[in-house]
Amino acid sequence: MTDSLSPDPAQLRAWLLGAARRDPAAFRLLYDATSARLYGYALRILGKPELAEEALQDGYVAIWDHAASYEDALAAPLTWMSAIVRHKAVDLLRRSGHTHEVDAGGFEREVLEAARDPGASPPDALQISREAQKLAWCLAALEGMQRQVLGLAFFHDLSHSEVAQQLGLPLGTVKTWIRRSLERLKTCLAKGEMP
Amino acid sequence: MNLRDKPGLRDRLASEYVLGTLKGRARRRFEGYLHGDAALRRLVVEWQERLLPMGELAGSRQPHKRVWRGIARRLDLDQVRSGGGSRIIDSLGFWRALGGLSTLAALLLVAVLAAGVLQPRQPDYLATLADDKAQPVLLLSGDSRSGEFNVRFVGGMSIAADKSLQLWAVPKQGSPRSLGILPGADAATLALGDAALGPDVAMLAVSLEPRGGSPKPDGPSGPILYKGNWVRVL
Repeated sequence: MTDSLSPDPAQLRAWLLGAARRDPAAFRLLYDATSARLYGYALRILGKPELAEEALQDGYVAIWDHAASYEDALAAPLTWMSAIVRHKAVDLLRRSGHTHEVDAGGFEREVLEAARDPGASPPDALQISREAQKLAWCLAALEGMQRQVLGLAFFHDLSHSEVAQQLGLPLGTVKTWIRRSLERLKTCLAKGEMP
Repeated sequence: MNLRDKPGLRDRLASEYVLGTLKGRARRRFEGYLHGDAALRRLVVEWQERLLPMGELAGSRQPHKRVWRGIARRLDLDQVRSGGGSRIIDSLGFWRALGGLSTLAALLLVAVLAAGVLQPRQPDYLATLADDKAQPVLLLSGDSRSGEFNVRFVGGMSIAADKSLQLWAVPKQGSPRSLGILPGADAATLALGDAALGPDVAMLAVSLEPRGGSPKPDGPSGPILYKGNWVRVL
């Protein structure tokens, strides 16, 4: 299994720069180290494996094409790659007109699972980065509905009014919740500690 | 609206840009601000670092082997030679209506401009030229005071020896004006003349021409490969 550990950002950066120099071997290593993670992500957004595979392909083609523009970007390599794959997945979601059934319970389970006692995770537990574990913990600290509005917007690419419609809530409430939830996440993440 | 004086609003817009709830015109307007505002791009990167790990919570799933095969096929990876782009530009032959920056172009600009690639000379003109699939190919930044502009290929590029790439300023009305032939290098500095600075210039475009440039005096003879808005940064 090539993706069992959080990939080392310095290593990913080196492979990305290799890809920028048009080195297919470096690109292949980059793919092996990150594709399972990004495929899980695309699948979460699109729901259907065939669409997620297409988004993943589009994403890596764009990563190769634009690797040279990454260079010394501020964002960590995985963040930059995630942003590209997310963009492709969301784009495909819109173009396919396919509305993947909103699964709020899934997000809820994932957050709580990932937030559970990160220090004691057995080696074969959730293989997620330290950043994701911390984010899960901060998400878990939000109230249920406030967490849910974020998950809906993020994974289903919904607007404020679409989130409001999904949850049967007034638009103003959704706007306020999203704003507050984002503020709380920022504060929580800035504290730099997990219990 | 002057966004610079509103720190709370800036942070909120950056967060909702990354979350995805900033949509439509508001999103495009925000992407317009990103062009000239390095601090705003930094806020976006910060929010990406905060929120994008949410994607990992879905868990890892090994994709089928055919995904890599498809990528390798699409990129011709077996034929790639190291040390330079090897995909030959083919004749795409398109001329679409004026388009804005694609979202991916804006996303890449966040990374590129945050890195300071276009920063040192404080350019006052910017353009991202994209191909027919809205993929950014060329970044241009002009400084009207020094009379220079920089051209940078995003992914490296090579063309056939008997062809040239010619850069055009496209005015709102009338014929395109040639800004010169692009050198074969990944990055270059060209002279920025009045042809490019006219207030009527809305867009820049690159055409594929016979070596040496278009034989026609009043515009391109070959297909337009890339185009993008020429934005005056205030």
